[in-house]
Amino acid sequence: MRRLAAEAAVFARGTYLQYVALFQWASIRGYIAYKVLLPVTQIVFFVELGVYATGRQNALYFALGNALQLTANAGIFGVIATVANERQYGTLPILLASPANRLVTFLSRAIVNVIDGIATVAIGLTVAILIYRLDLHEANFALLAFCIVLISVTTAGLGLMFGSIGLVMRDAIIIANIVYYALLIVCGINFPVSRLPAALQVVSYSLPLTRGVQAAREAAAGASFDQVAGLVAGELAVGAAWALGGYVLFRVLEGWARRGGLQEAY
Amino acid sequence: MRSLVRAGWSAFAISVRLKVVSPWAYLNWLVFPMLFAAVGLYVLSRPGASGSHLVYGILGGGLIGYWSVAYIDGGNGIQDERWNGTLEQLFGTPTPLWVIILGKVCGALLFGLISFVPTAALAYFGFHAVMPSLDPARFVISLAVLTFSFFCIAQALTPLFALWRWAFSMINGFELGVYVLCGFMFPIAILVPWLQGVAGALAPTWAVRALYASTTAEGAHDFVAWWLYAIALSLVFLIGGYFLYALVEREARVSGQLALA
Amino acid sequence: MASPAIEARQLRKTYKSTRGVFRREKVERVALRGIDLKIERGELFGLLGPNGAGKTTMVKIFTTLLLPTSGSALVLGLDAVKDQWALRRRMGFVFGGDRGLYWRLSGLDNLRYFADLYRVPPEISRKRIPELLERLGLKGRERDRVELYSRGMKQRLHLARGLLNDPDVLFLDEPTIGLDPVGARELRNIVRELADAGKTIFLTTHYMFEADAVCDRIAVIRDGGIVAEGTPDSIKNLVKDQGVVEFEVVGMPADSIAGLRTLPGVSSVAVEDRELAQLVTVQCSRPGDVITHLSTVLDGVPLTKVSSREPTLEDAYVQLIGESS
Repeated sequence: MRRLAAEAAVFARGTYLQYVALFQWASIRGYIAYKVLLPVTQIVFFVELGVYATGRQNALYFALGNALQLTANAGIFGVIATVANERQYGTLPILLASPANRLVTFLSRAIVNVIDGIATVAIGLTVAILIYRLDLHEANFALLAFCIVLISVTTAGLGLMFGSIGLVMRDAIIIANIVYYALLIVCGINFPVSRLPAALQVVSYSLPLTRGVQAAREAAAGASFDQVAGLVAGELAVGAAWALGGYVLFRVLEGWARRGGLQEAY
Repeated sequence: MRSLVRAGWSAFAISVRLKVVSPWAYLNWLVFPMLFAAVGLYVLSRPGASGSHLVYGILGGGLIGYWSVAYIDGGNGIQDERWNGTLEQLFGTPTPLWVIILGKVCGALLFGLISFVPTAALAYFGFHAVMPSLDPARFVISLAVLTFSFFCIAQALTPLFALWRWAFSMINGFELGVYVLCGFMFPIAILVPWLQGVAGALAPTWAVRALYASTTAEGAHDFVAWWLYAIALSLVFLIGGYFLYALVEREARVSGQLALA
Repeated sequence: MASPAIEARQLRKTYKSTRGVFRREKVERVALRGIDLKIERGELFGLLGPNGAGKTTMVKIFTTLLLPTSGSALVLGLDAVKDQWALRRRMGFVFGGDRGLYWRLSGLDNLRYFADLYRVPPEISRKRIPELLERLGLKGRERDRVELYSRGMKQRLHLARGLLNDPDVLFLDEPTIGLDPVGARELRNIVRELADAGKTIFLTTHYMFEADAVCDRIAVIRDGGIVAEGTPDSIKNLVKDQGVVEFEVVGMPADSIAGLRTLPGVSSVAVEDRELAQLVTVQCSRPGDVITHLSTVLDGVPLTKVSSREPTLEDAYVQLIGESS
């Protein structure tokens, strides 16, 4: 029990420090740029693109999809930036040498970004409501809120995989950029997954967001939990699988990095 | 004078060679535009969408890539030297900094232009998209005018980013807003009027409008007026850039912050 | 009469910065407080001083990278403020550390690029670059990427870059920093050769032996002001009536140190930890007397390797820096 309390303290302190580090990285101007300007412009760009292609009546489809995809902004960029910061400030070797519980260390770098992801979606939805009059009067709000939390968790699970790669790869942030924008294609954000070639559809359903966004769209249209339970379960399973994969990779690469000293290879 | 031209050329050649070996450059000129082109083409080729829309899918990805490279690689011409620790070395040579930056911006623009190749190929082979009635001469002139506008903007952004690092974050965060305002993937005519007004104040908007007009027979075709608007607005950036360079030189030599990363 | 190679007249530099987020506060820091200095052509001049004393600021002003707040800085009779373009063609500078090169390019490409930026005509650079590679021991590796170079090779490449325009005056700011002893010695030898070939060299360092070994003349700078100037020997003469007693001891009690300090003629006592023992350095005017009193003061603590020696430049430096603090 005392051990559990100690672990909890490490977890809480780790989370807090990562939170501080994250916002130092972002700063007020950085926060405005990447957590306000970027969401607003991303939603406006894709909504206007969709409106141009398919008509004003479809604006909501694009607005909701892109607002939800913004979780990846925190889940992927945030998690990788956490590792990149440690690399930049030279704290990574210290962390790797510490006796702290690996799983605790690992998860504490995701939790902040889950919270941040929820905040980013909230900003995105606010923008969508203000600019495009996103109509939610039929929505099942509780379920929609649940879906937002769900996809924030699952995208952070995917982010943990790339965070691990970041341990040994100098330019992991490049991969994060690619994944972030690739999610716009394959996860049913701007057009249904069914329009993709069959091979890419397999990719779609092995990534977080795809099912979660679908469930959120249905919640926004008033669906009940029972109607989307399958999607929710699938989304959770995919997110957990990525997080687990990330953890395994973290342990493997940790050993490799220590042997090769790669985490210092700046 | 000849040695000055050679110095500028050398800066151009080195910047191209550094981009060939930098993974970041590939993100900007190849991967980014391809991803945007793919989304754009899927959305624009949606069942029920008008066929003339597809031309925005053909060139949109390339325009996005061109702009990204121009402002990220071109605009960070001073900052990347600072990160690399070479800024003082460059500053201390008998070649004025603006000559070196000129060469580097041209190198970035060359890479940006290449963006059109993979994105147009994706449109053609993946979506069977073609330009309905291309006017090659006007297309080339429009692209040249666009290049001039990107050049002027990058020249002005370079000292701006060196003086105020947060300016880059802001423009980086606003990146997709630029796509919207300059009409890279859809015409600005669909925007609300006040946004169209803002868009009209930006040089690339007019060059992009001319570029798209040169690929289709539909709509108005005031090419000369559009080109002139683009050039005139670009010159404003060039003049602004001149003053910013002077400010960088002065700041650097007074506060000695050239070496700081 | 030719003007001196390097000259400073009442050179001052003050940095202004703002501090604080909410209540902005202007902070002024004086880096150079009215320096007067004259270095003749062909001299190898060393500027010695601790970190933050103003060495780099002085070099940056002479190399046109920084403007002085007041006073003047002249190199080859050219004003570093007003005649920057003419001056940049005729001088070179090398800063210590291994940054400042394009690591993803070869050494040769780095040199070719900077030769163009220094506006060296191609017919000259085609001959000069291979000569520099040969002279600096980089021949054979010039086509490898710089990231594969050792630290010493990177520093020699820096030096080659500084020599591309065959400068009359060369500024070297802590060029051996971070180099291993062999690499540092190689670099010092090259610097000495360059001086012997007639180039004026302005070298900053905080290694005493480096200044002692290569410089014709040195100045010691502290808190933005020069506290001593002359040949290495004349600086040592400042402490000529001073001798040094050194010995090793295991477990030096604190009151013994205090006891040593009270002995007649003792000006300073320094204790440095060695693996098992401490090395004690005593600066004093009468080494013989100190040795005689040692056993009394140390009260039976066993001591080994007792020696007395002539003062080194380092001793003089420690005294100069200590005196003015």
